[in-house]
Amino acid sequence: MLNYYLRLALASMRRTPVLSALMVLALGLGIGAFMTTFTVYYLMSGDPIPHKSDVLFAVQLDNWDPNDDPTESAKDVQPQITYRDGTWLMNAETPASRQAHMYGTGAVLVPEGDEPPFEERIRATWHTFFEMFDVPFLYGQPWSRVEDNDRASIAIIGRELNDRLFDGENSLGRSIRLDDSFFQVVGVIDDWQPVPRFYHADGTSRALADTEQIFIPMNRAIDQEWTPWGNTNCWKANDEDLPPLEGFLQGECVWTQFWAELETPRQVADYKEFLDNYVREQKKIGRFERPLNTFISDVMEWMEVNEIVRNDNRVLVRLSFLFLLVCVLNTVGLLMAKFMGKGGEVALRRAMGASRRAVFQQNLVEVGLIGVLGGLAGIGMAWLGLRAVESLYRGYQHLVHLDPVMLATAIFTATVFAVLAGMYPVWRVSRLAPASLLKTQ
Amino acid sequence: MKDIGPIFRALMHNRMGALLIALQIALTLAIVINSAFIIQQRSADIASPTGLDEANTAIFYTNLFEPNVDQRQLYRDDLEAIRAMPGVIAATHTNSTPASGSGWGEDLYTDAEMQSNDAISFGKFMVDEHGLETFNLDLVAGRNFRPDEMRVRDMTSTERPKVMVVSQALADELFPDGDALGKTVFDEPGGKSPIQIIGIYSHMQHAWPGASSINRSALLPEIIMFGGGMEYVVRSEPGQLETVMAQVEEYLSKNRSRIVDTVRSFEESKQRTYSGDIAMVKLLTAVIVVLIGITGLGIVGLAWFSVTQRQKQIGTRRALGATRGDIVRYFMVENGLITTAGLVLGVLGTVALNWFLDTNYETGRIPLWYLPAGMAVMWLLGQAAVLIPARRASNIPPALATRSI
Repeated sequence: MLNYYLRLALASMRRTPVLSALMVLALGLGIGAFMTTFTVYYLMSGDPIPHKSDVLFAVQLDNWDPNDDPTESAKDVQPQITYRDGTWLMNAETPASRQAHMYGTGAVLVPEGDEPPFEERIRATWHTFFEMFDVPFLYGQPWSRVEDNDRASIAIIGRELNDRLFDGENSLGRSIRLDDSFFQVVGVIDDWQPVPRFYHADGTSRALADTEQIFIPMNRAIDQEWTPWGNTNCWKANDEDLPPLEGFLQGECVWTQFWAELETPRQVADYKEFLDNYVREQKKIGRFERPLNTFISDVMEWMEVNEIVRNDNRVLVRLSFLFLLVCVLNTVGLLMAKFMGKGGEVALRRAMGASRRAVFQQNLVEVGLIGVLGGLAGIGMAWLGLRAVESLYRGYQHLVHLDPVMLATAIFTATVFAVLAGMYPVWRVSRLAPASLLKTQ
Repeated sequence: MKDIGPIFRALMHNRMGALLIALQIALTLAIVINSAFIIQQRSADIASPTGLDEANTAIFYTNLFEPNVDQRQLYRDDLEAIRAMPGVIAATHTNSTPASGSGWGEDLYTDAEMQSNDAISFGKFMVDEHGLETFNLDLVAGRNFRPDEMRVRDMTSTERPKVMVVSQALADELFPDGDALGKTVFDEPGGKSPIQIIGIYSHMQHAWPGASSINRSALLPEIIMFGGGMEYVVRSEPGQLETVMAQVEEYLSKNRSRIVDTVRSFEESKQRTYSGDIAMVKLLTAVIVVLIGITGLGIVGLAWFSVTQRQKQIGTRRALGATRGDIVRYFMVENGLITTAGLVLGVLGTVALNWFLDTNYETGRIPLWYLPAGMAVMWLLGQAAVLIPARRASNIPPALATRSI
């Protein structure tokens, strides 16, 4: 029966090709526009590390200007901490399972041979980073506490850089030159791109940045005098009696990120208390002049605090949903017109013995077919839309792919919308009294 | 006008159809007006002048990686060579450029008692005495720096400049009475790090578009040497930018101790910073165009269908003496009625949507005149769309009335 209805539906669509095309096009455009904006929203607000996002916590300590407005939530506190606080925490006995202190920097990489030197971003961090964030290794393994303490000249590089420098071979033991220093490769990590890049995500553009291709011990980066490439925020001048670099490291400028891994609610509470106690101690020596405002936020909370999803994106999702509604209204209007025009045919079928139910079903199949075609058109449009979005925005390359969930959702939504939209006209047409229509002809 | 009664009654026979179009028009109006408003705002932001000679300025970023190179001397040599190139008007080193999205912000204190929450924030550009000309600024009062006022900031020195040239906006913010020239301000609370204002230029934005302090900028005679990053800005004679950019890049690349990481025209740099706004303008423009297209086509489609449906009645009316004009008018008035209803609903929708977007995403309030303008556009769109099927209807011969299908 479905087969027969489908054939009838196709025949009916062919009878009014322009109208049918218009319906499929409108539905496709609506679905395509909505899917485009929603995909970006969905990926941006996604969980970058689903199996661990509830045990990883970003740390905020409020060392800011006592004259500033009072703190009401984590959003009012600097998203980064000072070098000195982070360094102290890394060396303390804490209730956390692991902690990682880090900052983003960069240098000129000078390859061996003829390839010209190029600039490369570097993540300076501690050995704990890799296990905490489940970084997948291709060769080698994370360095250890010993290398952190020894300020060793070692590096873990990304797969992409390993392909570029060493043709993808196992490069353990080889060296790379950064500025004027050599670093021995102790690990190569596989493709790893959390979206958003939660571990250093103050602001949308940093949250959408590529992961670095070079990781080195943070202590070593400090020895190299590599300055931070992210935001550096200061409220208080550095101590002028110290040499500038030392003054900067010991000062109140915030430019490093700090994470803790806390597996149980108990640990979370203990760690928070530990941080509070640290700040209380520091208050005694005249630091942390504001009220006690330590915050720890798990990954998804941290994405909220940093407002990773742009307002523009939310506006576009809202507008494109209304756009979809217009397209659906448009389709219903056209369906109404079309089905009203089918009065004669329906009357004939009814007179020949088809029940209202059968007429209803038959016409619903036609509507469903338009819905499926609209959904398919929508996927095409969304693909184009995402290409457009990728070319319009910087750093969206990790955000614009059609994932299977979105594809299925598109077809499903389009069909549901079309069937809902078509329900009324189909119902109307199946209610027509056959006799009145047959008579007038 | 006497037609309205019968047309309205005829419409009521297909209430649902009319309601659907009216709703569609209402939603379309709401989306189009709200989108147009956002487009207008963003376009104004993008077009706001930075103060530079935008079309004839380029930015070069290099990174020195060999140690044992005298960086201060390299700066001098580079700038001397660049300034000597044909087509170059002026060049300076800098730490940042306006509307680049990344720069150096600081606070100024007008006296020793001022608290940090009252301090005036501004964007700082560390340049040499050629900065004023390179950035194309009009000095409205005072003087430029002298070469001997330059200070070096690096890993070993904390010496700070003692003079600065500020934008009119910064001068007015610091000294609302208009007597900023010659005054001393402080870079730190408690009367520390005094700097004298020796000059005022009319206008230049700082690095961060969207900030309320955007017009508060200043030039300081300073050179920073933290790491190997070195940035130059070059202003060329009109129309010579491309040649100058190629020349400068070639010159900078000759030195094997560094890499030339970025060569960018100022316009390109600005576009990168505004890419989110530019994207928004393009996406919303596409939304408006497609939406108007769909709604227009929808009206054509529906009217076309209704003409086909009513062939017989139209034929009958024609046979009874209605002119072609009467038939065309019938459809125009019908569409006018539906559109007007839709637009009245649409005004409510527009205001509601604007209220929602403004409350949640701070998009701002739409000026009133957008409403009549949007309504007029939609009304004309409806009339234009219905004209095609209406003319087809007017061509139906009166003889059709006598035939049965």
